[in-house]
Amino acid sequence: MAVKIDSDVCGHIENCPVQGLCIKLCEQGAIIEEDGDVKIVPENCDDCDLCIQNCPNQAISKA
Amino acid sequence: MFNVERTGSEVRKLKYNDSKCLGCGICTEVCPTTSLRLGPVVPIARGLIEMDLLSVNADSCVLCGLCSVACPFDALSLTIDGTPIKEMDNYPTWEVESEICDDDCVYCGRCSIACPRDAILFERKLPDRESLLRGEINIDDEKCIYCGFCEELCPPGAITISNVPTSSVDLMNNSIEVDTSKCVYCGICKRVCPQDAIIEICSTCMLQDQIEVPEITGTTYIVKDSCVNCSWCAEICPVDAVNVTKPFAGKLEVVETEESVCKGDSCHACQDVCSCNAVDIVDGKAETNLSFCNLCGACISACPQHIRELTRTSMKLTNINSESWNECLNKILDE
Repeated sequence: MAVKIDSDVCGHIENCPVQGLCIKLCEQGAIIEEDGDVKIVPENCDDCDLCIQNCPNQAISKA
Repeated sequence: MFNVERTGSEVRKLKYNDSKCLGCGICTEVCPTTSLRLGPVVPIARGLIEMDLLSVNADSCVLCGLCSVACPFDALSLTIDGTPIKEMDNYPTWEVESEICDDDCVYCGRCSIACPRDAILFERKLPDRESLLRGEINIDDEKCIYCGFCEELCPPGAITISNVPTSSVDLMNNSIEVDTSKCVYCGICKRVCPQDAIIEICSTCMLQDQIEVPEITGTTYIVKDSCVNCSWCAEICPVDAVNVTKPFAGKLEVVETEESVCKGDSCHACQDVCSCNAVDIVDGKAETNLSFCNLCGACISACPQHIRELTRTSMKLTNINSESWNECLNKILDE
């Protein structure tokens, strides 16, 4: 099912209070950094929802 | 770490000590003005964010002290004119403790190793090895060729050989020494010596009646400030020398649904925030050993699947004298 990121709300690493907390939290490699932005790799997502729960901007939700 | 202070007819000060906070959020449940807020416990526990687990809105805090008495881990303390309310007769107190009985402790030190909070200080004095053994060892310098077989094989490392020439004038300036405080008279050196240069006799068995076995002494001490009453020490103690009274009785269950299941290794949020080291991931699922759990509830809010259910049936918070405080503090319980 994976997750989706609301681009309008997301801090895009640069403006994220924790500079990409979701990337740091996801140990499955389902959220990665690409060209200075956050990118979702749906096939790696385990639907643990850690990113959804902890995003400081509440920009992540179920896809 | 925060302080809220206000001076009126009395001086009230609320102190928060982050090093004692487990991120359980009990204080936020009882705060009548919703002035306390729990931070992102999982990222903090993983070291991804450096901040206190708890924050306060000092403007709305009324310095009532409910959070201070509700916290079973003493992370919050309200003082009135310098005296902590927890030390006052008319305020509630937690009847929890972790105590090691000196008379029963055998100083094995297992509790100290097992304690997830490094809260147990432990030291012991063992007798000298030589006081438990009897024997003799002598090496004949005339026969010894300093081959080093005995030195290399000696199990306790009691033999020291110097066999590298240090002077071109005195090539045979060698030495062999036995440290009798280490020698256990096992005889390996004698058996391996190609020159038959070692005389070793063990009389420990023969003289065992004369060898007094001294009492092992030591100190095992629980540092109250770090202890969270998880019970690891009591569970692991082989001689039942530890008494632990936990703050709560109750249960913690994982209730999976069709949509929400434990993701185990992918997530392990519960394991990361657990101060008691009570959670393990077994076969891809988080398992909590309630023997070690203090039912603080930090894992409940940490779980992104919201499938952990905590039921606290009783608590060791006593001396609640006010009806309204009783009502507030009973929010900690689930029945």
